[in-house]
Amino acid sequence: MAGLAEWAGAETRPRYGGTLRVEVRLPGDSADPPQIGAGIADLNGSFAITQWDGGRRAVYEASETAAGGRPYLDRVEVELARPLRDQAIDLDLGKADLIELGLTELRRQPAGRKVWPSAPVRVLALVFGPRVDDARVREALSLGVDRGAIHRVLLQQQGEISGALLPQWLTGYAFLFPATADIARARTLLSGMPAAARSLTLSADDPALRPMAERIALNARDVGLTVAVGSGNADVRLTEIRIVSTDPARALTVVAAALGANPPARAVSPEALYAAEKALLEGFRVAPLFHLPDIYGVSPKVKGGPGISPLGEWRFENLWLEGGRP
Amino acid sequence: MIAAVKGWPAAFTALLFFLPAAATAAQDLSGAAREVARKTAAFAGKGDTVSVTCRNVSSLRPAALEELRGAFEAALREAGLRTNETGGGVEARLTLSEDQSQYLLVEEARKGDDRQVWIASWKREAAATGLPARLTLDKRRVWAQDEQILDAAFTEASMLVLAPSKVTVYGRGAGSTGQWEPRQSAPLTPPRPWPRDLRGRLRITGENFQVFLPGMVCNGALDSVPSMQCHAADEPWLLESGSRGILLANFAAARNYFDGRVVTQSGLRKTAPPFYSAAAVEDQGRTFWLLATLDGRTQIVDASFEAAGTIAGWGSDIAGLDASCGSGSQVVATRATDSSEPDAVQVFAVANRAAAPLAEPVAFAGPVTALWPAGAASVLAVERDLTAGKYAAYILTVACGN
Repeated sequence: MAGLAEWAGAETRPRYGGTLRVEVRLPGDSADPPQIGAGIADLNGSFAITQWDGGRRAVYEASETAAGGRPYLDRVEVELARPLRDQAIDLDLGKADLIELGLTELRRQPAGRKVWPSAPVRVLALVFGPRVDDARVREALSLGVDRGAIHRVLLQQQGEISGALLPQWLTGYAFLFPATADIARARTLLSGMPAAARSLTLSADDPALRPMAERIALNARDVGLTVAVGSGNADVRLTEIRIVSTDPARALTVVAAALGANPPARAVSPEALYAAEKALLEGFRVAPLFHLPDIYGVSPKVKGGPGISPLGEWRFENLWLEGGRP
Repeated sequence: MIAAVKGWPAAFTALLFFLPAAATAAQDLSGAAREVARKTAAFAGKGDTVSVTCRNVSSLRPAALEELRGAFEAALREAGLRTNETGGGVEARLTLSEDQSQYLLVEEARKGDDRQVWIASWKREAAATGLPARLTLDKRRVWAQDEQILDAAFTEASMLVLAPSKVTVYGRGAGSTGQWEPRQSAPLTPPRPWPRDLRGRLRITGENFQVFLPGMVCNGALDSVPSMQCHAADEPWLLESGSRGILLANFAAARNYFDGRVVTQSGLRKTAPPFYSAAAVEDQGRTFWLLATLDGRTQIVDASFEAAGTIAGWGSDIAGLDASCGSGSQVVATRATDSSEPDAVQVFAVANRAAAPLAEPVAFAGPVTALWPAGAASVLAVERDLTAGKYAAYILTVACGN
């Protein structure tokens, strides 16, 4: 007869106490801790900051007056500006409890490693600057990107290929926006155009995205565009926009603001929302490519998760540590 | 962030001004199919032929595609259109999809170079969570609600449900089904914010009831007009086990466990390790207490609360029974796992300070957040639905001889 004793694991009820050690890549380069945005700022409320070594380290203590009750953890220590590779080593060595995982590292994780992904909330897109004023050039580059190959090779099939700004899980209609390459149509659009008009510069906001930018430049050559990958004030930017709300209408408003577009009217039906998003994409000023999740690697002693919301927010108030002291 | 992109916002804003008015959500899949079919009919023109293709990218069952096609084509025929698989004057591509709160029916319709998209939506239904009961530990769902259930107790005519915000008294409805209907609620005002993983205990004795909460005790009466008075207090909780074990135990007011200070039935005051739950068992004619301690083990102590052994592998919630099934007393224990995973409970006998399972585990779809004795042969288990976030209370009764 099967028995409960055969189930390995910890006690069912959460335990109070302990310090959660978190490592992140991004530096906190301001004099003060961040108050908004996914990540450290999410700790405010349930935890109170007691130490901020600008850019390097932050310490938060549990708040006795937190809504919903004091968190189980006594403390959260966040190491900032840790390269992804160092984070992975620290998790393996037991020096960290929660780390960021790069998309390409997911497959390198040992079997059984606990992983907390968010929903796909990071929209990777090409955003064209005002210098690219010929819509045919913009459309040609959008049609030339081989999203499938990039997804397979560079992204290791993490996240989703998309031609939409808002992800499928949020709207249910993202598949309506085409995301497949059409080399023949792209070449037709550019036929007869002088070489100077077919030359662009492309930059990646995040150095980690540079390999993808270089791949896009190769795709562009196939359709007759000359794209030079550089940095700084380029004609086209490969950038990341974050979905910050599970309300699709509000999410679209924030995306529009990030793109420098006027805020859309409040869409009160899926059809209206679709029309608003379609309008944002008309003219090919922005070409969505992928929707990617945040992914965290977690020590097996961290319980009560997931500590990451679908939007990638830190929700550590219900986490507890096996072996924490009451 | 991204630099401003000039030139297109004005056109975008103008377009938004003419967005379609709010669509009325459909009631169900058939309603959504009829809604987009009406638009298709207007787009096509009378007598035209519509070729229909359907696909499902939602979590709806595959049979939903047949229902969709049937409802859509019937509505088109009512509107005077003909349908076929391919080659119609209008091509209608239907996709069943979903977002976080509703299902969507998305139609892409083409007539020559003209392309239209219509989207109809309807609300998702809550997923069913019931599980079949097992033979030897009968599982019966007695109540479900959105707010956390801390405990529930029953008389012949009433059910009391303890939640973080209130105690509610229910009575049987007049109809043939005799559903529980709320009679009266008494709010709970905690002296300080409730701790996370709140726990509470409800006891009925005759026409009176008692509520134990962290740092607070309430006393009430189940008269014709139920009443309740609460006061801040660190009074010990009265823990029962089956029909014979009683223990007074101090609950740590800002935590989710008993701090270890206990008074036994004989009046003996002892300090044990802090524990989450306790159950009494009879082994070779002697009474032992089992304490589910904070280190994940279950400690066995004798009547004097001296250590007598340990049991590994159980969860932190245990409850004692006296089901008169030949082996004396039993213990029901949760599974040792994370509080965010589906749980299970199993009934055990304890002999020679070792536990032996008496029945197969009974599975729950979510974590068990409370497990309390509910009479000599029953326990009350509360399950949290991991998907919907709701709580359901079950009575688990030992059925002898099965």
